Parts: sequence; C-alpha cells; structure tokens
Amino acid sequence: MKELIEELKLKIIEALNLEGMTPEQIDDNAPLFGDGLGLDSIDVLELIVLIEKNYGIRLTSPAEGRQVFQSVAVMADYVAKNRKK
Amino acid sequence: MKILHAVCILPDAVRLDGVQLPVSGQGTELLAALYREHMKDYPKFFKMDVLSKLGVIATELLVEGEADRFTPREDRAVLLFSKSGPLSDDRNYAKTITGDDYFPSPALFVYTLANIVTGEIAIRNKYEGDTTAYGLTEFDAGQFVATVRDAFEDRITTSAVCGWADCVDADHFEAVLFLVAQGAATGRDFSAETVNQIKQA
Repeated sequence: MKELIEELKLKIIEALNLEGMTPEQIDDNAPLFGDGLGLDSIDVLELIVLIEKNYGIRLTSPAEGRQVFQSVAVMADYVAKNRKK
Repeated sequence: MKILHAVCILPDAVRLDGVQLPVSGQGTELLAALYREHMKDYPKFFKMDVLSKLGVIATELLVEGEADRFTPREDRAVLLFSKSGPLSDDRNYAKTITGDDYFPSPALFVYTLANIVTGEIAIRNKYEGDTTAYGLTEFDAGQFVATVRDAFEDRITTSAVCGWADCVDADHFEAVLFLVAQGAATGRDFSAETVNQIKQA
C-alpha cells in the first residue's frame, strides 16, 4: 500500500501541475480538497480521468469522486480494491 | 484617456514602460520565471494554459505597484484582442480525444474557450467589470483603441487592462498590454499612433 500511495502522489502532482510540490509534502491522510491541497472541481474531474487511465477504474460522477478522493490514503485503498489494471 | 503603463512580452524578452527587464529562460520557462519573480503566491498559475499565463503575468507587471491591490472593483475592465485565440489549447485537447488513448482532459478543455484568459485576470485581481476577448485577423491599433474607448461609455468603467495577447504555441506568443485610465493627469495619450509605437519598439 505504501508503494501505491507514493505512486499516486507522483501521478497527482504531474496530472494537476502542482508546481514545486513533492510527494513528501502531501500528507497521506490530509484532505485533498478545501484546506488540504486546495484542489478544485476541475481537479476532481482530472483525478477521475487519472484513475480510469492508469487503473481502469471508472467513476460515474464527480460526487462519487469526492468520496474516493478524500485523501491519498483513501484513494489508494479504493484503487487497490477496484483496480482492473 | 491615458496609458499609465505598458508591457510587452515575447518568448525571449520583456519590456515594461519602455525598459527591458532582465529575464531567464525562453517561452513558458520565461513566463514561469516572471511568476517566481513577481507573483510567487498564486500556484493556480501553473494550471493555466499558455495564453492565460501570458495575460495574467503581463497584467501583474502592469498593476503590481498599485495601492489597494485585490480590493474588488467594478470600474476596471479587461479587454483583450488576439488572432489565435485558444487554438493551441484546441490542438492540445484534441490529442487527448484522438485514437485509442481516449481520455479527454477536463483541465485542458476548460481553456478551449477564447475568453478564459480575461476571466483568469479578473479572478486574480478581483476585477468585477467588463471582461471581453475579441478576435482580430491581424492587430489593428485603430480598431483596438476605438473598441476600448467604446467600453468606457458604460459610465462604470474608469480604467482597463487591455491589449494584444496572442499565443500560437508554447514557444510563440506575444503580449502588448496597457493599463489605461480615464481622467488621468499623467501618461501618454491612448491613441493608435502611441499604441503602434509601443508595440513596434
């Protein structure tokens, strides 16, 4: 799980153009939205694309994405349980 | 109407009020270097397309010395003109929906609208006045000046960030932006002749 978390952090930084951010600066359990990384609604859509493209997981709505993307740790757990590739 | 400040940004050069600024890098690297020197605290900059980065950083150079930055105001318009509009974004977005690797990028898609750059400038600076993006086949100083002057007829607008912001791709772009104001005591006259002199300097 630790490896997947690190992998996700790198992919998030790249996909969302988080300039100057390193994986170490992202807390596994910090919220990705609001006070955490401060991501916005477009970022939710971009993360939905990220997990479909990389792990074959298709989320059907941004609302579902909000649940899955609570934190990197929650996201990694969901990916580990549902990945198709 | 007077020009308070004028800025020109090319992929390898920046001129503010006629003075060449020291720069590092070329193309988008130059824009990022300007960000690090003049903005620093707006990471959303890195999520923008090249046209928006160009417009936002050019505006930053025009207004960074103003008092009461970031106080919401309705009396300032943002009026930009370009030839290419968002065509480079259209091409980048098309790559994400072509062939078997079909993963449309929402972050690219939002920038395929021509007026996003004016919105980004307004959001950054809390300008709540008129924001408009115009398409021209070529830069025409006379048409540009006349259109901007018309915008001041609404009895709300007293100043504007306006000018030419054109982005062909990440390595080919040009911004010639002006901060103009009605009733200003100092500054150069906002005329087609002056605009052409500044653009061609």
